[in-house]
Amino acid sequence: MRHDDITEAIGDTPLVRIDPAVHGLANIDLYAKLELLNPFGSVKDRAAWHMAGPLLDRAAPGDTLVELSSGNTAKALALLAGMRGLPFKSVTNRMKVPEIKELLLLLGAEIDELPGRSECLDPADTDDPLSRMHRQLALEQTGYLHTDQYFNQRNVDAHVHGTGPEIVKDLDGRAPDWFVACVGTAGSSTGVARVLRQHNPDVGVIGLVAAKSDFIPGIRTIDEVHEVGLFDPGVYDALETITAEEAVDGLLTLVRRCGILTGPTGGGAFAGAVRFLRTVDAGLTGRRTAVFIVCDRVESYLSYVRDRRPELFGRPPRRNSTRTLTDAEVGAAPEIAVPDAQRWIEETGALVVDLRNPYAFQALHLAGSINIVDEAFADLLHAGLPFSGRRPVLLVCPVGEKSARYAALLTRMGHPDVRSLAGGVIAWRDAGAELVRD
Amino acid sequence: MLSLTPRIDPTIQSLLDDRDYLAELLDALGSPLALVLPQRVPKNVAAFRETFRRHRLSGRLYYAHKANRSSALLRELAAGDAGADVASLGELQHALSAGFTPDRIVATGPKNREFLWLAARTGVTVSVDSADELAELAGIVAGHRLPRVPVTLRLTGFASAGVRVLTRRSRFGTPAGELADLLDLVEKRADQVELTGIAYHLDTVGLAEKAVALEGGLAALDACRARGLRPRSLDIGGGFGVNYLADGAEWERWTTELGQAVLGRRPPMTWDGHGYGLRAENGTLRGNLAVYPAYRPVAGAAYLDRLLRTPAPEHGLPLGELLLDHMYDLDVEPGRALLDQCGLILARVLTVDDDRVRLDLNARDVSLEEHGVLMDPVVIPRTGERRAGPAGVYLLGNLCLETDLITRRKVFLPIVPRPGDLLAFVNTAGYFMDFSATNALHQPVARKVAVYQSGGLRRWCLDEQYWPVHSRQETL
Repeated sequence: MRHDDITEAIGDTPLVRIDPAVHGLANIDLYAKLELLNPFGSVKDRAAWHMAGPLLDRAAPGDTLVELSSGNTAKALALLAGMRGLPFKSVTNRMKVPEIKELLLLLGAEIDELPGRSECLDPADTDDPLSRMHRQLALEQTGYLHTDQYFNQRNVDAHVHGTGPEIVKDLDGRAPDWFVACVGTAGSSTGVARVLRQHNPDVGVIGLVAAKSDFIPGIRTIDEVHEVGLFDPGVYDALETITAEEAVDGLLTLVRRCGILTGPTGGGAFAGAVRFLRTVDAGLTGRRTAVFIVCDRVESYLSYVRDRRPELFGRPPRRNSTRTLTDAEVGAAPEIAVPDAQRWIEETGALVVDLRNPYAFQALHLAGSINIVDEAFADLLHAGLPFSGRRPVLLVCPVGEKSARYAALLTRMGHPDVRSLAGGVIAWRDAGAELVRD
Repeated sequence: MLSLTPRIDPTIQSLLDDRDYLAELLDALGSPLALVLPQRVPKNVAAFRETFRRHRLSGRLYYAHKANRSSALLRELAAGDAGADVASLGELQHALSAGFTPDRIVATGPKNREFLWLAARTGVTVSVDSADELAELAGIVAGHRLPRVPVTLRLTGFASAGVRVLTRRSRFGTPAGELADLLDLVEKRADQVELTGIAYHLDTVGLAEKAVALEGGLAALDACRARGLRPRSLDIGGGFGVNYLADGAEWERWTTELGQAVLGRRPPMTWDGHGYGLRAENGTLRGNLAVYPAYRPVAGAAYLDRLLRTPAPEHGLPLGELLLDHMYDLDVEPGRALLDQCGLILARVLTVDDDRVRLDLNARDVSLEEHGVLMDPVVIPRTGERRAGPAGVYLLGNLCLETDLITRRKVFLPIVPRPGDLLAFVNTAGYFMDFSATNALHQPVARKVAVYQSGGLRRWCLDEQYWPVHSRQETL
């Protein structure tokens, strides 16, 4: 396969059968449409290219491509704009996945996060994020090219011309009996449903939305879908709710048992599809087919999964960790009070280690101390004692609590004379002892 | 039934259960009647102190006076270790007379010369919003040969790196970019003012915006230190919120149904189809649900705790740790959060006509709608027997105005109210009680009563008669 341009690699994604041993359905062949294999990593590559292509063709130098997006659309648009040497700006009402945010910054995107709601009610503020963005764009009066994914019919068309026909082609010219898709902009579900129904008016279209209190990236909640211009409830035979828990379960199954590196949206589509199909499977006599969409890849959602399933990222306990200290050991940590400490440092030439953050250390610290920030110090200790036992050490933190734990640990590790400054640097300051900024 | 059941503390619940007591009070003092529970306040103060302690932070907790003008609440706070945030000359006088010493008061908000003079004369901390205000204050101090006045500089518009976090424009504070000019002025006026800290005020429930401001405040403090000034505190204002509702599922169901009603997919839930900021455009829901997020699982002291655990956008460390590392005090100014479960408003039902219940109070006496807090009242039937329900009703006020609706939404009550019944609007001490109450149309403003425990008994007195030293029987 040879291409002149990465955009030619958009589309033509594979349809992969899920092992019946995994989904457990007796009479239904379940297929995953692997949109994660698009060149920029998601189903949004299609819509982004279809919407942005004409805009980019007539763009003037210095124009900015802009979209209200906190995820995959922004990523695809940033790359497409970058290929034309144009900037991309994403306006969002809270980007909740840090990796996506960082990836967008890496791609050169500019990100504006819209303000949150006001604490004291402000009746003058009734704008939704979309209206606010339109107003902001109009105010700034420069060359903005707005793809407008929630209202742009070309979003749907991308799937009418691409995703839908590809599914039919791969199923040997037939439409599946059921099509299951998560609803974000409603572009893929609406476009694919339209094509499938042309082949088989009886195809069952299942739209999946997130439970209201849940957050699943890329899926709208049952309320939020009504804010989408492309959303038409008539497209769906059923709208079902899935939870973040189910989405993560589905993700784990596809990743660990099927070799499909899906993100939570695809995981949710799989979980929602299996849950729905299980209810109809028992009553079937002949073979049926169902297709769901795997929207994007798992790598961008590690922190999302980690927040919900920290046990999946469990590591074996590390050596020499303050977490292994007993209360008795912490209680017995060698401490020294401020007036004695001043004398002791002078007499013994003790090494003073300040565990606070560098920014605070640089602002004010004990004269002659060195700064090894807490986390870095913990890392050093895993490997063993970082000091010679011949020199006394004074550990310093804000209130003497952290330093006491480390003093207890270093004592356990065999340092003969380590102490924690009682009351910490705050007690030092309050006693009127010298702090310097050098 | 689309209920929005209020969260009710045991103290308020036991008061609601004592129907005869409430009926007697209302008969004696008239409808509407505002009840404050001063003895509940220390519990809220303690919750904030616990958050401070968990983060090893020291600092001041200033009650934002504007949330309620009650003397009882203020005096009870003065009896504890909280301070007072006053936003007018009258509030400053009130705080001083309630027992707050000047070192426990901060003067904020728009200030006239009289307010500035009394603040300077008594030596309270002045939170300065602009260079002009600072110059005016310094001029008053110099002109009257007063001692140096402690000041904090209130800043606004902190910039964020990487991802630009947009914040709503604020009327208060000096742009953070103009700090250097302000500090020039502080140095020039060193005989009149002494910089003690940096402050900001952000009207948002968004943690991301507050995190940007908090880190920006730290940078500003560092800039002060670099000039040799000795600031000691960062005042992050208030806005920690209250959770008003007992059940999150009710809140979710109600807001979903409202969207459906606005789209015309179910019967209206509001007077004349009012959309609370939402509107339908070509079958799509537009606008913003302009109400207070009444169900807030993380509010008050817990919200502050969450904020202090939030990583600083640039430095990555939790904000609480950054504050501690730098040895700055944290000052906060909660209003509503300190008055959680500290009061209720009673009103008598005048007439019941189909789905319209007319009450002997108006929308200014209990300004729940004005503040966007959607929360059902509790029906207290006059007689013992309960009547069948539920009832979906609109609550109408006692003013001769079409606009005087206590609720613009249909309220679903478990029993049908009858004339003579009482309605209790619970948890209304923060902002809803007297923030906008007026004598319009010669309707009386609610009398305010403090209800408290003394000698094992529930007692009451007029708000202005309450002092935290209770009658002698407790020493008998």
